Amino acid sequence: MQATHPSRGFRPQAQAACVCAAVIAAVIAIGRSDVAAQRGAGAPQGPQTARARGPVDFTGTWVSVVTEDWRWRMVTPPKDASATASIPVNGEGRKAAQSWDLEADNKAGLQCKAFGVGGLTRQPGRIRISWQDDNTLKLEFDAGTQTRLLTFDRAAQPSAEKTWQGFSRAEWEGPGVGRGAAPVGDNRVTGGGLPGAAGVPGGGGQGLRGGPPPRGIARINSGADIKVVTTNFREGYLRKNGVPYSEQATITEYFHRLPTHPNGDNWLEVITIIEDPRYLSQPYYTSTNFRLEANDANFKPSPCATAAPLPVKGGRAGRQ
Amino acid sequence: MRRLSYRAIFAAVVLLAGVPPASAQVSFVGEWAGRYHEDQPDRVPGEEPGDFSGIPLNEAARRFGDAWDVARHSVLEHQCAPYTLPYMFFGPNQFRIWDEKNPDTQETVAIQMYLGTYQQRRTIWMDGRPHPPEYAPHTFMGFSTGEWNGDVLTITTTHIKAGYYRRTGVPQSDRSTVVEHWIRHGNLLSQVTIATDPVYLTEPYIRSQEFVLMDRGNTNWLYNCEYAMELPKDKNEVPHYLPGENPWIGEFAAKHAMPEGGVRGGAETLLPDWRPGAKPVAARAGVNGGFRAEDQPSKLAAGEVKMVPVQGNVHMIVGAGANIAVQVGQDGVLVVDAGTAAASEKVIAAIKALAPGKEIRWMINTTFRADHTGGNEPIAKSGRTVNGNIAAIVAHENVAARMIAAGIPDASRPYNTYFETSRDFPFNDEAVLIYHPESANTDTESIVMFRRSDVVVAGDVFRTDSYPVIDVENGGTTQGVIDALNHILDLTVPSKMLQEAGTYVIPGHGRISDEHDVVMYRDMVYIIRDRIKEMVGKGMTLDQVKAARPSLDYDGRYGADTGAWTTAMFIEAIYKDLSGNRKAGAAPSRSAR
Repeated sequence: MQATHPSRGFRPQAQAACVCAAVIAAVIAIGRSDVAAQRGAGAPQGPQTARARGPVDFTGTWVSVVTEDWRWRMVTPPKDASATASIPVNGEGRKAAQSWDLEADNKAGLQCKAFGVGGLTRQPGRIRISWQDDNTLKLEFDAGTQTRLLTFDRAAQPSAEKTWQGFSRAEWEGPGVGRGAAPVGDNRVTGGGLPGAAGVPGGGGQGLRGGPPPRGIARINSGADIKVVTTNFREGYLRKNGVPYSEQATITEYFHRLPTHPNGDNWLEVITIIEDPRYLSQPYYTSTNFRLEANDANFKPSPCATAAPLPVKGGRAGRQ
Repeated sequence: MRRLSYRAIFAAVVLLAGVPPASAQVSFVGEWAGRYHEDQPDRVPGEEPGDFSGIPLNEAARRFGDAWDVARHSVLEHQCAPYTLPYMFFGPNQFRIWDEKNPDTQETVAIQMYLGTYQQRRTIWMDGRPHPPEYAPHTFMGFSTGEWNGDVLTITTTHIKAGYYRRTGVPQSDRSTVVEHWIRHGNLLSQVTIATDPVYLTEPYIRSQEFVLMDRGNTNWLYNCEYAMELPKDKNEVPHYLPGENPWIGEFAAKHAMPEGGVRGGAETLLPDWRPGAKPVAARAGVNGGFRAEDQPSKLAAGEVKMVPVQGNVHMIVGAGANIAVQVGQDGVLVVDAGTAAASEKVIAAIKALAPGKEIRWMINTTFRADHTGGNEPIAKSGRTVNGNIAAIVAHENVAARMIAAGIPDASRPYNTYFETSRDFPFNDEAVLIYHPESANTDTESIVMFRRSDVVVAGDVFRTDSYPVIDVENGGTTQGVIDALNHILDLTVPSKMLQEAGTYVIPGHGRISDEHDVVMYRDMVYIIRDRIKEMVGKGMTLDQVKAARPSLDYDGRYGADTGAWTTAMFIEAIYKDLSGNRKAGAAPSRSAR
């Protein structure tokens, strides 16, 4: 019978257990040292700014390529039975959409309701992304001349006043966070690359097949993303034609920069989940595609303005 | 001690919790169901005719779409055709995903999918294997390889059958490729598809869809489709609209208050700068590259001859001019077509390697053309009939007649000729059926079927690399080609009624095919024939017909400006055939009757 310290409950067997656990963990962890290396082993210690931690570079000017919901995004759709199509509105949401009055909005100075955080990403336009400071990513939209600030500062708090774009709290997530963004052209940024790109045998195939990544080749990424949760916004429209979201909604977004396409295109994918107990019956999912442009020459801010729907000439809508 | 061991293991697990796995960073295993919060009216109820909005298509695709008649879906061979990969995830769908592991290493060899829509099975290879060669069959789901980019799974798919980007006739060619990116956040799977199609798109077509993990499974996993004639009409009729006759074009724009220019699609309409009536933005140059060098289907090296298994006893030799079919069994070897004279040594070597010690007993010529018969003499001489003679060459008598007329030496000509419309004989324990269409590409064609192996050798009646050669001077007719294609469709039976596999078809040139490939080709010839027939009926000259570009929607796939068989020659052949402007001695056109 060996003595045991009553307050700590620490026994020789327990000591053995800890040693054993440490050995098992060390053995397995050594086997995964490649992963640890990719995750920033050897990187400077201490708190890093969001900009320094970010493994993916989102800066640049991105243009929306409208291949989805074209008839609801590129033009102002008519206020007919298809006005809320695709959006899981509830009865109140449908009723609100049907009572949409563009003229009344304009008279009330609410032209920006369709350019609030819930609908802005779906507006055709360009986004100019830059770091406002080391912990704030700035998204300037030329549609409606709107600016969103994604803050990575956990201490930051929303202002008392609700705004069209609300308060967006951002965080990096996924592999490579903490390692920092690689320079332009680095495989870690885009994951793909053009055929024959330097650095990786085989040309261009710079992702990982089924097995683990080769040791010593830090070529992961683009899998990392920015998660953004936005609150404190004003009520607005999911679509130009008055399909509403309320101030009670929660908006969660994931910003992904996709691996470079074989033709050299770079794509930004914004996945948006809007949950609105007032106007929606279930979460509303969209994913919106933006292509990187060479420069911001075509970034042309325009005021919040919604064109009136074109007149319906016939068919189902015309019979209403 | 036992308790301590558990504690040790538990502690190790806790310590390791902070170390993520090295590969397969995200699991997609489970059952997923679509959410249709974008384009729902198009994706679930279905698109409306004439709506091309949001697609970076070209003029050829518009022409195809304008000719589209929804009744095309009623054609027997189209009724049960699944969606192809570029559309599959856009339409109503639910799917199951599981990993296939190497039992020794536990690495993921493949990600497997079963899609409830059309009961499609898909394999995404994760082991780094190359994509198949260009002569391999295409499937509705294509051939996919995947790789991880961090937490994003990137998939490249080639070898996809021809289909549609929209169910209302926005065409997708069998030269399209797709890159996908799968992204998971919690129970949400976002799938980005980027389709590249040099035939019908001017730049990559990106779309993204959302799927939600089903926490309670779904039982709706089977797709029951039985094709059947539902109207008393010609089963080989191909519904379509002639240029300018589609009454539905324009209705969509009017019905939904859409700008006319926008609903016609095009890359310029996808950008925020587009305005109704605005001058089109110039297409971006050099952006239509679909897949990386290592994902390219491998091509044959110059002069390379390759033996490829097809099905049952039948193989295909590629690289020797026209494709050659080789049937092997206990009785010996039967060869359909002989390729060019220049390739004959390699062909013989390939056959001997495939069937060591077996004699070539029979040969069949499907036509008289030199790329099919050039190797007749050396290959026949390398074989022996059971009587000790050189291998016997079977062909329709017109083959011999045309070869004599062309001055081909005796030793290269077939002597076992037939004159009836069909012939059959047993060889290697299976029925070999030979059918002679009265006048297809020429008046010499034979179509061969190996019944037990379930393989049809089409000769030049069907080819995947060009428009059919219609040799009017040697007895060819447009209607004859269509009839011969219809006959092949009568012979082919797809697997599980889902328009894939089952009977395989060896084309005169190009890749191994099946019924779906043949029916798409038949439709093409039928539609172009109808257009030119109408133009001939209007009294248009050949130059006027060519200027009207009656084959515009197919030129990017089958046309050529140079070479032995150009688009202009194809149009001219049909025009001559249908206008009765044929040389004396050529077969009269049944199309013009």
